[in-house]
Amino acid sequence: MKKIALLTTLVGVALWGCQPEPDSVKLLDQLVVSTHYDKNANFKSYATYSMSTDTIGFISNANPKDTILTQKESTYPRTVLQRVEANINKANYTRVAKNASPDLGINVYVVNDYNLFQQVVYPSYYYPSYYGYYGSYYNYPYVNTYAQNTGALVLEIVDLKNIGADKKVNVLWTAYMGDVYSTIDLNKQSTDAIDQAFLQSPYISK
Amino acid sequence: MKKLAILFLLTGVCTFVNAQENYFYLNWDINQPLTNTDWLGATSARGVKVGYRVFIGSERKFSAGLDVNWTTFAEYKPTETFEQTSGAITTDYFNYIYQLGFTASGQYYFRGENKESRFLPYAGLGLGANKNDYSVFYNIYKEKERSWGFLARPEAGVLVRISERRRLGLMAVVHYDYSTSKSNDYNYSSFSSVGFQVGIISMQW
Repeated sequence: MKKIALLTTLVGVALWGCQPEPDSVKLLDQLVVSTHYDKNANFKSYATYSMSTDTIGFISNANPKDTILTQKESTYPRTVLQRVEANINKANYTRVAKNASPDLGINVYVVNDYNLFQQVVYPSYYYPSYYGYYGSYYNYPYVNTYAQNTGALVLEIVDLKNIGADKKVNVLWTAYMGDVYSTIDLNKQSTDAIDQAFLQSPYISK
Repeated sequence: MKKLAILFLLTGVCTFVNAQENYFYLNWDINQPLTNTDWLGATSARGVKVGYRVFIGSERKFSAGLDVNWTTFAEYKPTETFEQTSGAITTDYFNYIYQLGFTASGQYYFRGENKESRFLPYAGLGLGANKNDYSVFYNIYKEKERSWGFLARPEAGVLVRISERRRLGLMAVVHYDYSTSKSNDYNYSSFSSVGFQVGIISMQW
C-alpha cells in the first residue's frame, strides 16, 4: 500500500511538469480583434453608407448548414448588424438605401474553415516471454479522426464613391474577429469585438 | 569483434555502477525566471527534476551523474492592443515557456568529522543542453518558437537520510540555470532562472 502511494506520488509529480496549456475558458472568453486599413483612405470624405438589415454573408469550405447562417435560425445576424450600425452611426455617417448612391458599403460575413484530418495511431503492447514463446510487441493500428471548425467574423468598409472603370471596389477597412466557433457567449463576444474593432480604428470618422 | 568490445564495455560499466554507491532522486522544482521578465516573470511551481548520481571513491566526497529537468513557465497577460503600421490587433493572451534540460553533473560533498552523519551538504555543477519552447496562446491561436542552447547549472544542496536503517532520504537544492537558448521573436538573447528543489532520494549505500 505504501509502495502504491509512493508510486502514485512520483507519477503525479512527474506529470506535474508536463506541457500544460492555458485554461480554455479564459482563452476563449473574448475574440481576437484584428483591423487593417488603407493608409491612403480619407474617411472624412465620405458621408453615407448602406448595409444589409438582417443577413450576413457566409463563406465556407464545409457544407453550409450552420445555425449562425440565417436570422430564421439564429439571432446572430441581426445582433451583429445592429451593433455595426450603431458604431458607424456613432462615427457620424448616415445610413441610406442601397439605391441612394451610398459613399460606403458595409460587408459583414463569417468565414468558416472546416478541417477534417486523420491520424493513424500505432499503439505498442508488449507481452513478455512465457511458456517458451518469444516476447513481442503487438501493434493494432487504428485511425483517429479529428474535425476542427474555425471561423472569423469579418467586417469590411468598401468605397462605393470611387468605383474604378473595371467596376471593382476598394476595401478601405477590414476587421477580423475570431474565433466565432469556439466561444463562451457568441453574441456578447461578437458585439464586444465589434465595439473594439471601431475603438481601435479612431480614423473611421466623418 | 566490435560487438564483443561493446559487450565488455557495458559489462564493465554495469559492474562499476553496481559496485559504486549511488542515489536516484526525484525533485519538485520551483523556478523564478530572471531574463526578459516583462514577457514572462511569474514564478513557476510546475517543474520536475530527476537524476542519477554515482559516488566516486569510498569517501563519498565526489559524485558524477545525469540530470533531466522539465519546467513550464506561464503568465496571463490581460487584454492589450498592439498597434501595427496599417492597423491594430487586440487580445488577451498567455505567454508560456516549456523547458527541457539535460546535464551531466559533478558534485563535491562537504563531509564533516562525523562520517556517518545523516546530513550530506554538497555543491555541484551541471553542463548540458536545454530546449525552450517560447509559446503564445490567444483564443484558439498559438505561436511558438523552439530554441536549443547550452545549459550551465551551478547548484548547492543537502541530502538527508531519514533514518540510518532506511535507504530513503530527502533532498533540498538551490540552483541557478543559464542557457544560451535564444528567441528573436520574443526578445531573448539567453535564458536564466533561479530555482529551489525539494524531493526524495533513493540511496544505495
